[in-house]
Amino acid sequence: MIHRLRRAAMFVVAMLLVVALWEGYKAIGPAKGGDVLGFGILPRTNDQVMPHVWSMVTGLFDPAQRQGDQTVLSVVLGGAWYSFRIALVGFAGGVAGGMAIAVVLTRFRLAERAILPYLVISQTVPLIALAPLVAGWGGKLQIGDWVWPKWMSAAVLGAFLAFFPVAVGTLRGLKSPNAASLELMDSLAASWWRTLVKLRFPSAVPYIVPALKLGGAGAVVGVVVAEISTGLKGGIGRLIIEYSRQATSEPTKVFTSIFGAALLGLTMAAIVACIDLALMRNRPKESAS
Amino acid sequence: MSTTSGAGSNATASAGTAPNAVEIAGLRKVFNANKANAVEALVDVDLTIAPGEFVSLIGPSGCGKSTLLRLIANLLDPTSGTVLVNGKPAAQARQDQDYGMAFQQSGLFEWRSVVRNIELPLELKGWGKAERRARAHEMLELVKLGDFAGHMPWQLSGGMQQRVAIARALAAHPPLLLMDEPFGALDEMTREHMQAELLQICARTSTTVVFVTHSIPEAVYLSNRVVVMSPRPGRITEIIDVDLGSDRDEDTREATEFYGRITAVREALRGIEMGAGPRGIEDR
Ligand SMILES: Nc1ncnc2c1ncn2[C@@H]1O[C@H](COP(=O)(O)OP(=O)(O)O)[C@@H](O)[C@H]1O
Ligand SMILES: [Mg+2]
Repeated sequence: MIHRLRRAAMFVVAMLLVVALWEGYKAIGPAKGGDVLGFGILPRTNDQVMPHVWSMVTGLFDPAQRQGDQTVLSVVLGGAWYSFRIALVGFAGGVAGGMAIAVVLTRFRLAERAILPYLVISQTVPLIALAPLVAGWGGKLQIGDWVWPKWMSAAVLGAFLAFFPVAVGTLRGLKSPNAASLELMDSLAASWWRTLVKLRFPSAVPYIVPALKLGGAGAVVGVVVAEISTGLKGGIGRLIIEYSRQATSEPTKVFTSIFGAALLGLTMAAIVACIDLALMRNRPKESAS
Repeated sequence: MSTTSGAGSNATASAGTAPNAVEIAGLRKVFNANKANAVEALVDVDLTIAPGEFVSLIGPSGCGKSTLLRLIANLLDPTSGTVLVNGKPAAQARQDQDYGMAFQQSGLFEWRSVVRNIELPLELKGWGKAERRARAHEMLELVKLGDFAGHMPWQLSGGMQQRVAIARALAAHPPLLLMDEPFGALDEMTREHMQAELLQICARTSTTVVFVTHSIPEAVYLSNRVVVMSPRPGRITEIIDVDLGSDRDEDTREATEFYGRITAVREALRGIEMGAGPRGIEDR
């Protein structure tokens, strides 16, 4: 309990520190930007580029459109909620796919050597390039009455980033039981599936949990990037683009949309933390991550 | 005492009498056969163990004790020879859960409570939940851990974990219990205590036991017969009967007959160690 309070306090302190750095640099930094050794790397500190933190906060309550009573806050929250649901779908898909692949690779030793390199290579394909491709393929897809919804492409890309860490973590975990435990299951004449369910999966949990953390973050990044590169409307990715176009007239708006994206990531992290707590309760403390 | 040692060629017991708990004939095991790193782990092993007997396997490290136990358990296949458990081929006996097994590491599943660890063999046998629970609690009483059903394994001491492992091995009431240095990691006090308890449990459940150990006194205290093995290649050099009666308690450890048998086993081990040098045997 003390431990958790301390972590919460550390989080607040870290936030305050970021605010202090921001405002501190804004106070002492050069208004027109500056050069270090001839490189223009010091950002300008005027209100256009670096608005005050408090004006970002008040900016949340400005109307989103010139004529309209919807605030920026509600638009950003709406966008974050939209993207969040897509990211959840992507996360779920990625986790299911990652675990399925890990099971197949555990079952067939040969498959591991044949397939694993491709999984690694798959993660080096730039997401920006992949997003329009997936959207293009999806757009042609129609099964009976069911038409591929546009958001599905974003979910697929979220899943694409989520599945890899989950697959690798699960694979390691499924192989983690020691020889004695496997021998025990053998001595009880347990089938391969029974051994998977009763021994390998439970042993894999401490490996799966950190993989889920990476996977959750991956799903969020995948969805936001896919929204940006396919121009999907309604999500936080699109808002970031829109608001950065309006940066000259309303400089705080783009920051509020970035807050929205951060909130999205934090919510996903919180969900994974809850899964962590649920799965790792009753486990010995030292194997908890 | 039923010391039916020697090759058991009469595989099927005659009608009416129970089959032998274990019957091993002409057993040989070579690891990595036909390769450069081939190891001849066991040769010419013949051993018959009657129901209800307690037999220890003792010998220097690497003489094939664990290998022999794994062959009985059908976790390894023999290179040649036959293993019958409970009158059936070892593979069939494993399918039927005719034996339970306990190792030096308790091997409890850390994500399962004590009672659910004991239920594992019953789950795999397809028992219903209520029956499983009832039997697991029965087993917990047997190993005197009735108050620890809901504990997690890592909350128990090493000795208690080993008792849970024994309860798990016996949960399905198998006629045979195979143990590979189960008390090897325990301190001396706990160890002697566990030995006494094991004898009580086996007497009450009339379980046959094959017990691998490094300790001469442990082997003598527990066993009806001590099987002495020699390394390279592993074989049975001598089988020593231990006539200490069936009611063994702490006084047994002080009895002159006890020391006599310890000396006999020690001399049998010396005999095989003339060439190999003494290692891996505990004299305590
Ligand atoms: N899986 C294996 N592969 C190759 N050699 C093995 C294997 N298991 C055991 N051995 C060898 O067989 C011999 C007997 O081993 P083991 O039965 O474990 O001895 P003990 O239990 O008496 O100490 C040793 O020389 C060991 O190195
Ligand atoms: Mg051994």
